[in-house]
Amino acid sequence: MYIYLPIAEQPINAFIVLGIGWLVGIIMGMVGIGGGFLLTPLMIFFGIPSPVAVASVANQLVAPSVSGVLSHWKSGNVDFKMGTILLVGGVIGSSIGVLIFNILNAIGQLDLVIKLSYVIFLAIIGSLMFIESLKLIIQTKRGKATRGKLHQHNWLHGLPFKTRFRKSKLYISIILPLIIGIIVGILAALMGIGGGFIIVPAMIYLLGMPTSLVIGTSLFQIIFVAANTTILQASQNQTVDIVLALILLIGSVIGVQIGSKFSNFMKGEHLRLFLSFIILLVGFKLILDLVTIPLDIFSISIIQ
Amino acid sequence: MRTLIKKILLIIIIALNSFTVFAKDNLVTDLSESTVEISSTFSGADILLFGAYDGQKNDDIIVVVSGQKGNIKVDKKEKKFGIWMITESVKFSNVPKYYYIASNRKIEEITNKSEIKKRKLDFNNFELKNNKIDYKNLDKKWYEALKRNMKKKQFWKIEENSIKLNKNTLFRKTLSLPSNVSTGMYDVKILHYRKGNLISQEESKIKIDKTGISANIYNVAQNFSAIYGIIAVIVALFFGWFTNFIFRRI
Repeated sequence: MYIYLPIAEQPINAFIVLGIGWLVGIIMGMVGIGGGFLLTPLMIFFGIPSPVAVASVANQLVAPSVSGVLSHWKSGNVDFKMGTILLVGGVIGSSIGVLIFNILNAIGQLDLVIKLSYVIFLAIIGSLMFIESLKLIIQTKRGKATRGKLHQHNWLHGLPFKTRFRKSKLYISIILPLIIGIIVGILAALMGIGGGFIIVPAMIYLLGMPTSLVIGTSLFQIIFVAANTTILQASQNQTVDIVLALILLIGSVIGVQIGSKFSNFMKGEHLRLFLSFIILLVGFKLILDLVTIPLDIFSISIIQ
Repeated sequence: MRTLIKKILLIIIIALNSFTVFAKDNLVTDLSESTVEISSTFSGADILLFGAYDGQKNDDIIVVVSGQKGNIKVDKKEKKFGIWMITESVKFSNVPKYYYIASNRKIEEITNKSEIKKRKLDFNNFELKNNKIDYKNLDKKWYEALKRNMKKKQFWKIEENSIKLNKNTLFRKTLSLPSNVSTGMYDVKILHYRKGNLISQEESKIKIDKTGISANIYNVAQNFSAIYGIIAVIVALFFGWFTNFIFRRI
């Protein structure tokens, strides 16, 4: 069944998009992160213009994040204080991100920057995840799974404006989560992602938060970052395709629920290994598109 | 639906056929639809153009459909730092966003060069402007690139030998509009040639417009963009909460 997308101005096969949303949702539910950074490139491969893909995926991200936060909240796995500081940074960051987005759009290099940022992030995250999960699997097989310190003290803990995060059992400076929030916000606006795959490792390794709180708290801040991005993209660039977002989010919210039930039966490191494969594959396809000689070195676009 | 259209068509053709007996030197044409509505299930449209003409042996029919004019940017990519990126752009204005030519045989055989130029029966005679001052010196490759890409996207299309003439009185042609066609008024010109000379012509219009939910969404997004953004967020919030609510009960 084809549905005409009013903003992207093209018809799209609704069942395929629904299916993609659903599959990505399952991955999101199983691993706890991802979604945006897989959905946006997939939509670009599908022929949706990059600016529309980025803005619409940001829109759809609100739904699985809300759904996820509600589940984690019930289990008491959200640090609202930390989340609030992260989201303040996130809202500032996403506003900056939309501004950068507009500048790049005006000089005609937006498409390239979106694709390049994806290549870089997918390559880094994909290979880190691959190595990390492979190490864990080998260690468990040898039967000497070692656990490191909860977190290490370094210069980051010497920053001013220290405050106590009771839930996370931390006493750290608010500057650090604020900066993390800003960086993730910029990326969210520029790439159409929630930033879970950046913020989750940052929370564990930089802030030293307990792993159990990380996913719920990151989802909490993603809601606000994605919402802010959506409103800014819609009002400044008119690039949010609500129909595309709706099809994607219906698929993904169902997928997330199924995926999170699945995750109880599968080992985390195997899931991560699997996800790292997908990430590297998507990144590889994007690199290929950038370095191979185009069929036609000239391209056209209708402008207002 | 199809058979019904065919039946109606047959009746019309018969009617037109008898009509032409009385109306000498005339060209009578009609379209199966004069408006195309881009609704939420739009995936392109086929419009049937049919007509009757008072013809002789070896007469020719050419049909030209032209859409609204707009600005088109041509980007050129070059390899820099191992990556293909846009390095140069030329903006053309006054470009027909849709241009379709159909005929019963090769246009070069139907009429002469000056007529082709005058009636714009190919893609080389549009009155385009661009943002480079030295238009005359602008490398031809830019226009060739525009032409090539417009053809590839099916925005510009030529189909010679595609109109079937019947007994020198009837013709029909299906005009296929692509799914990504732009909105606006489209001019349909039907030209009747005899020995290279235009002896009669007809014009009609097709209106292509967005309609229904799809049109409403587009209008809200353009005119009330901040509200649109807020609605988009509320819809997503609702669905997030709703699935959580549903799955908690299962």
